[in-house]
Amino acid sequence: MESLSHLLSGFAAALSWYYLAYALAGCVLGTLIGVLPGLGPAAGTAILIPLTFNLDATGAIIMLSAIYYGAMYGGTITSVLINVPGEAASVVTCIDGHAMARQGRAGSALGIAAIGSFVGGVLATVALVVVAMPLATLALKFGPAEFFALMVAGLCLVVGLAGKNIVAALLMTVIGLLFAMIGLDPVRGAPRFTFGMEELFDGIGFVPVVMGLFGVAELLLAAEKRQARMIEAELKNWLPTGQEVRDCVGPIGRGTVVGFVLGLIPGVGAIVPTFMAYVIEKRVSKTPERFGKGAIEGVASAETANNAYANAAMVPLLALGIPSSPTIAVLMGAFIINGITPGPFLFQEQPALVWTVIASFFVGNALLLILNLPLVGLWAKLLKIPFSYMCVGVLIFCVIGAYGLKQSLFDVWVMLGFGIIGYLLRKLDFPIAPAILALILGPMMEKSLRTTLEISGGSFAIFLDRPVALALLAIPVIVIAFLLFKPRSLDKLRESDID
Amino acid sequence: MRQGRLIATGAMLAFCLFALWQSLLLSLTDRLGPGPGFFPFWLALIGAALSVALLFTTFREAADPADAETRIMPHGAGGKRWLAIVALLAALTMVMEFTGFRIAMLAFNVALVVALGERRWWIIAVFAVLGSYGVYYVFTTWLDVLLPVGRIGF
Repeated sequence: MESLSHLLSGFAAALSWYYLAYALAGCVLGTLIGVLPGLGPAAGTAILIPLTFNLDATGAIIMLSAIYYGAMYGGTITSVLINVPGEAASVVTCIDGHAMARQGRAGSALGIAAIGSFVGGVLATVALVVVAMPLATLALKFGPAEFFALMVAGLCLVVGLAGKNIVAALLMTVIGLLFAMIGLDPVRGAPRFTFGMEELFDGIGFVPVVMGLFGVAELLLAAEKRQARMIEAELKNWLPTGQEVRDCVGPIGRGTVVGFVLGLIPGVGAIVPTFMAYVIEKRVSKTPERFGKGAIEGVASAETANNAYANAAMVPLLALGIPSSPTIAVLMGAFIINGITPGPFLFQEQPALVWTVIASFFVGNALLLILNLPLVGLWAKLLKIPFSYMCVGVLIFCVIGAYGLKQSLFDVWVMLGFGIIGYLLRKLDFPIAPAILALILGPMMEKSLRTTLEISGGSFAIFLDRPVALALLAIPVIVIAFLLFKPRSLDKLRESDID
Repeated sequence: MRQGRLIATGAMLAFCLFALWQSLLLSLTDRLGPGPGFFPFWLALIGAALSVALLFTTFREAADPADAETRIMPHGAGGKRWLAIVALLAALTMVMEFTGFRIAMLAFNVALVVALGERRWWIIAVFAVLGSYGVYYVFTTWLDVLLPVGRIGF
């Protein structure tokens, strides 16, 4: 009941014209970014951070969240029209969506994707409203030991589910944590690894690193490849028929449940719920042979699960302060840039902000539906933008984003350096997601551990006396043991990159 | 690819060992508990152990015939585009403090669009001006983001 009254206040704020404008701008920009092949939601959200530098915290987060789920939808368009997923979560949509486009049913595929995304997003946000506050209230009872254990568990889930090679994923986590150690020690304030450089006293900037690893690195990868050719699809009928909608009611419902449940677990990339929802539909279908040849249920289930996942992934961030994917880590970075630490205290200390942001998820999903159904043809035209213009446009945003936060050209060098590092790591199949999450969680992890050890007089036995912390620390052990002895069939569900 | 992974893992091992040495220069513990060097020390130690384990497993992997054809660094036409992006981005960063955002970005836009294959001068001109002076105006005037003005006033 308390959640409902907070939510209503949130709606009152989220429906004000300026927050509506931010959500609308975010949805448009996010869809645009999602449409451009090669730029995923993490890169898209990162490179558009400069647009929010001087917005108030609520407006900035509303806009970046809208960019996030706009990009998740935008990826669908490229999947259907050119068989190139704009982001990893849209891989499954390619299977039946592109087959539908080849049959001249691209409009129906994109229409049902928009409807499924809307339903999945809204229902997942309803569940977020129900779940987030009790979870945050529970987390308020946590001490530093539990928070440290929670962050270790969250990171290990990401490590376990992100990479094909668990040792490489663990190593990337440690490298990310070591980069997070640069700057002033968060407990004593002593400079570490700064080598007398003033620019390093604040640590390595999260924004330039993310812009480099995602924005610049993805452009460098794209620069090597040839551009895919678009199908001249028939997009006059962008609404699916009544029969097609009736056929998709079940897939949309099941996709919502799968997407929401898996979105709550840190480290489960968006591809897992979309793949799982697709497999479930194929299993329950009376005509499974249609799947892969243009079954609209395949598109509906995958797209619904994708958007339900995107909204559910906000629960661990808002309630626990744990980002479950690189894109959510970028959003967490945006919270921190605005002086807000996501986590259980957020609901107590910033109720107006958090409930306005949650209400904006409903508004954003509705805007996305309104925008995407009639504008599908327009988005499709964007696929014809030559790579050279897209590249220059993205780099302009990257340079401004890296420079603008601290007005430091050093940060532009950091961005370029991490762009090259990110390119090489991708080519060599090292997972980047664990490093990004470690970079943002590192200072908080260190602070929690050191506070815990100060309380215990330096003894690690304190973790044995705290059952919740102990249980949370058992998760990484179970995950790693499971991955070492996992069934081979599970490999199909895992991808080298999350998001 | 295998050779590239070995080199990359070796570089990570060197990075961890360097961090280990640097963290030993800081205090690991003090009278209040763990010191500034405590967390990085253990991280660097774990990182070094993981690097050695990864080096060992990668070294033992059977060579994949497909690896011989996979190049890590870009080559051909794609390689030229790659190099153009990196070199021009580095040049932009170097000159921006002196020339300011607008002139540096104008030159960057022209050079990059041409390097990536555009030859229609009027498109290049419109794109370069909008991407430099236009972007500067939007970000400084509407979004209040400070961008470098440069020593020559642009």
